[in-house]
Amino acid sequence: MKRSLLILLAALALGAALFAGAYFAAHRASELCCARPADDLNWLQLEFHLSNAELARIRELHEGYLPQCAERCARIAEKKRELDALLGSGTNATGVPVKQAEIAALRAECQSNMLAHFVAVSQAMPPAQGDRYLAEMKKFTLGAHEKIEQSMSGDCVHEHSH
Amino acid sequence: MAGAKNEYEDSKLSVWLRESRATPALPSRFQENVWRRIESTAAAPEKSGNWLDALAALILRPRLAFAGVALLLLTGTLLGAQSGVQTARHAAQMRYVAAVAHEFTDRQ
Repeated sequence: MKRSLLILLAALALGAALFAGAYFAAHRASELCCARPADDLNWLQLEFHLSNAELARIRELHEGYLPQCAERCARIAEKKRELDALLGSGTNATGVPVKQAEIAALRAECQSNMLAHFVAVSQAMPPAQGDRYLAEMKKFTLGAHEKIEQSMSGDCVHEHSH
Repeated sequence: MAGAKNEYEDSKLSVWLRESRATPALPSRFQENVWRRIESTAAAPEKSGNWLDALAALILRPRLAFAGVALLLLTGTLLGAQSGVQTARHAAQMRYVAAVAHEFTDRQ
């Protein structure tokens, strides 16, 4: 009986090792195989079943949008550094709300441009896919902030822009 | 008269048979050993050992063992590949979202 138990335990261990080995090897292989496509837009084409013409139009929009987005982000980063400097010095407390307002205004501008870009991209897709794209993008960009705001304030959602 | 004679012969035969039956001497502490075996059997039933032995014998059959190994490898490979594709897809999605909206993405 003891020998049988040992055989069963060994078989179980061997089976678990075989399964885990096969699982992780296949996981890694397919992850490496599918990862790092030529550019960020390959995901869009696969996920939303886009034709080459639709992808070309979206690429145009994407490449037009990215430099503007980068410029706005650089301006926000600069304002944040200025705010940090003000907070660190502790001497000019009156300047802090002004900097916060400037950052908020830049973020609002950035957000409205981003939403306009999402709408433009969704319109370059077939209608059903465009709706799905907009919903996905809202979930990843605005949804996260809404969740935080709701968790912090319960039913009453404070108005703050970003 | 004849019946009485028969009865007499039967009882004589019985006595003779009883005397002629060999009764070997029991080993010492025979009864005690018997009881000990009965108690140990009752304490640890053989049934669990039986099914374990049967299962062990079953998985040691070459055909069944090879089939089990093949099944595990196939299942592991399929599930791993599916999970890897999903991970890569999610990573690509996150790269796109980060590229177009990195100021607003959830970075938790």
